[in-house]
Amino acid sequence: MDDLATYAENTWCPGCGNFGILNAFKKAVRQLESSGVIRTDIAITAGIGCHAKIFDYLDLSGFYSIHGRSMATAQGMKLANPRLKVVAFAGDGDAYGEGIAHMVFAAKRNADITVIVHNNGTYGLTTGQYTPTSVKGFKGPSTPQGSVEDPFNPLALMLSAGATFVARGYPVKLDHLSDLIVRAIMHEGFSLVDVLQPCVTFNNTYQRYNQSVAELELVPESFEDSLAAARRTDRLLIGVMRDVQKESFGRSLLGDRNPVAGRVTKERRLSAIAAALG
Amino acid sequence: MKDPQRFTFLVGGEAGHGVRTAGTVASDLFGELGRYIFQMDDYQSLIRGGHNFSVVSSSVNPIFSQYLRADLVVALDARSCDLHREHLSAQGILVYNSDAVNEDISGAVGLPMSSLAKGYSYADLRLGVGAVAVLAAATGIARSTVEDFIGRKYLRDAANNVTYALAVYDEASKSLGVRRQLEKGDAPARSATGNEAIGLGAYAGGLDMYFAYPMTPASSVLHYLASHAEDFGITVVHPESEIAVMNMAIGAASVGARTAVGSSGGGGALMEEAMSLAGMSETPILCILSSRPGPSTGVPTYTAQGDLSFALNQGHGEFPRIVASPGTVEEAYRVSAELMSLAWAFQTPALLLTEKHLSESRMTVAVLADFVPGPPTRMDESTEGFGRYADTSDGVSPMRFAPSGATIKWTSYEHDEKGITTEDPDAISLMQEKRHRKRDTVVAHLRTCRCVNRFGDKGPLIITYGSTTMSVREALAAGGIEARVVQPVFLEPFPDWEFDELAGEEAIVVEQSCDAQLATLLTRRTGLNVIASILQYDGRPFDPEDLARRLKEVA
Repeated sequence: MDDLATYAENTWCPGCGNFGILNAFKKAVRQLESSGVIRTDIAITAGIGCHAKIFDYLDLSGFYSIHGRSMATAQGMKLANPRLKVVAFAGDGDAYGEGIAHMVFAAKRNADITVIVHNNGTYGLTTGQYTPTSVKGFKGPSTPQGSVEDPFNPLALMLSAGATFVARGYPVKLDHLSDLIVRAIMHEGFSLVDVLQPCVTFNNTYQRYNQSVAELELVPESFEDSLAAARRTDRLLIGVMRDVQKESFGRSLLGDRNPVAGRVTKERRLSAIAAALG
Repeated sequence: MKDPQRFTFLVGGEAGHGVRTAGTVASDLFGELGRYIFQMDDYQSLIRGGHNFSVVSSSVNPIFSQYLRADLVVALDARSCDLHREHLSAQGILVYNSDAVNEDISGAVGLPMSSLAKGYSYADLRLGVGAVAVLAAATGIARSTVEDFIGRKYLRDAANNVTYALAVYDEASKSLGVRRQLEKGDAPARSATGNEAIGLGAYAGGLDMYFAYPMTPASSVLHYLASHAEDFGITVVHPESEIAVMNMAIGAASVGARTAVGSSGGGGALMEEAMSLAGMSETPILCILSSRPGPSTGVPTYTAQGDLSFALNQGHGEFPRIVASPGTVEEAYRVSAELMSLAWAFQTPALLLTEKHLSESRMTVAVLADFVPGPPTRMDESTEGFGRYADTSDGVSPMRFAPSGATIKWTSYEHDEKGITTEDPDAISLMQEKRHRKRDTVVAHLRTCRCVNRFGDKGPLIITYGSTTMSVREALAAGGIEARVVQPVFLEPFPDWEFDELAGEEAIVVEQSCDAQLATLLTRRTGLNVIASILQYDGRPFDPEDLARRLKEVA
């Protein structure tokens, strides 16, 4: 019996790249447990889209947020209770479109959350429109003549924003992806795992990715090398592109304080109010 | 009837003259005399130049509004001189900075305030210190008191401030003399602005985390709580946008932190999508909405009540909302605390609607009375079978917070009792009805509370709300008008029951709106016969004497 599953009916298309992400995540949770992480300390959030159904399929606590905001919800949860390990699932429309400001700022402030982006280059649930990472010329219902925009490279963008852990995974390489997720969750500070997710219905990239994906052996040492790895186009590199230590936002702001565990008593509140009023 | 003990001080100048600080220090000076104060700052959306003024009315009796007609005007620049020389009471005196005004003004007293400030650093900023010294001289406050007081109130470079203040004081004593000795009273020497009281109230109600993005006139809640984050033991966060604010706050609340957010209309609009999320996910959250004249950017540093309909209808879709608007600084504390408590009792957003006039005006406050908390937050203690959205008779589901032995799923989607997405028609109806029933539960609770304030027991009926309540109360005092005032504090769910006994009565509605939104709401929700609306929508709060005149025209 799969004790990480719920009774929710799975409605992803057969062959969807999301299955690989779900399985890699479950494997990561079990691996974290075997190294001492308590399962109930893991909390999840999700945006809106095909990716987000993972929220219903995982028997973990958290918040099924709104489109583009799962990273903001996650940051609030982590700040309020730093004991939690908070993972935000997001689609490429969520993370790199509607909610890109939250991504950039989460990286800038080194918020201690993990963002797993199901990057399939299309809005699957709304029937296949182009997204911020769709290739130029992508034909969807909102761009029947083909998108005239160039995609942007989310890893290069997040590196520039100051992300301290940046990785790219591919669900076909399930163990590799699972390992990336473990490392991302254990990283103290902002971590991004951008997952090359084929969408069998609207953007089937299996063949392209199977040919071009290559594993990065070592974490690049310099920022410039990280950026270069993220930007490679002859091969699509998967692996950890950057992994550096920096004090997280929550630790800088709170120190060792835990806002929900250390709630101030009513008596102390009333005396502090009296003191503030003079 | 003019209160013979009332004394109004107005100081005007450019931004950068220390006008607002001078107003606050003058308030403290009156406070030390045991006098009640009401301070209103009129300032523009700029950092240097322009025209600012601060007006402080004080009395030995409680006072609910500034008066525009001042007993002492100190004009630090020529523009203030021109603008405020008409705003003097019958015995009022104008003192102006003769270095900035190129004429001798008959009946007024010129003092070389800039010349006296020469030689000090930040000479312009000192002018406000000089204005306080003029006030002290005109009201017969002893030189030694001024020396001590200025030293305590202007801590930065205190020694030079004291020297400058005494130089102005000596000049003013010579050419002005003591114009009016102020009677001492027994008011508490304690004052607060509306936004300070809102912050304190939220904290009393259990606030753990405050999230906000700056937007006047709500920003001072953020500034005040941030300045007290350490001694209060709370966390204050200023993220990238109001959208981040609201979503972070909701996330924090979902793991058990009592959170609040604050903004003005534009920021409130950005929060709306997540307001609806709070409604669906049944997340408790306190939202502060402080209005300026809109629409859009509008007039950032002035006052209005144009957001009433907006506040009552925050967020798309059907879910219970709780909205209340306080009528004084003391009430702002109580309402803020109670709304926090109600948000947690009923697991739904609660919104405190206020306006610049209350947010940023300063008033004497007695010891802030304890508030009446709502029903206790319902927590789940079962060992198994937990469902975040368990169906209950009153619609309120017991909560748990992660980390927990149970799986806790908060969600924006329509859901079953466990929080798993559903499209099943019966499950959808069940949850719609649960949320609807929760609204009935809120109404049943509000019926046991004081949702409406009433002042006076005879005379014409006046309905008003929010900070305009203060203007009406002071206008009645100023004009010697006997009237009954009813102020709905809770606006959603609207306390219809409080108006049953007034059905069919003629009412005058006073509000700071152009579209008469309160009058429209009353007509729709009560049996009142609104015979006149007194409206003001120029961004300025009512002046009590002017409002008294307008009330007499229709009453």
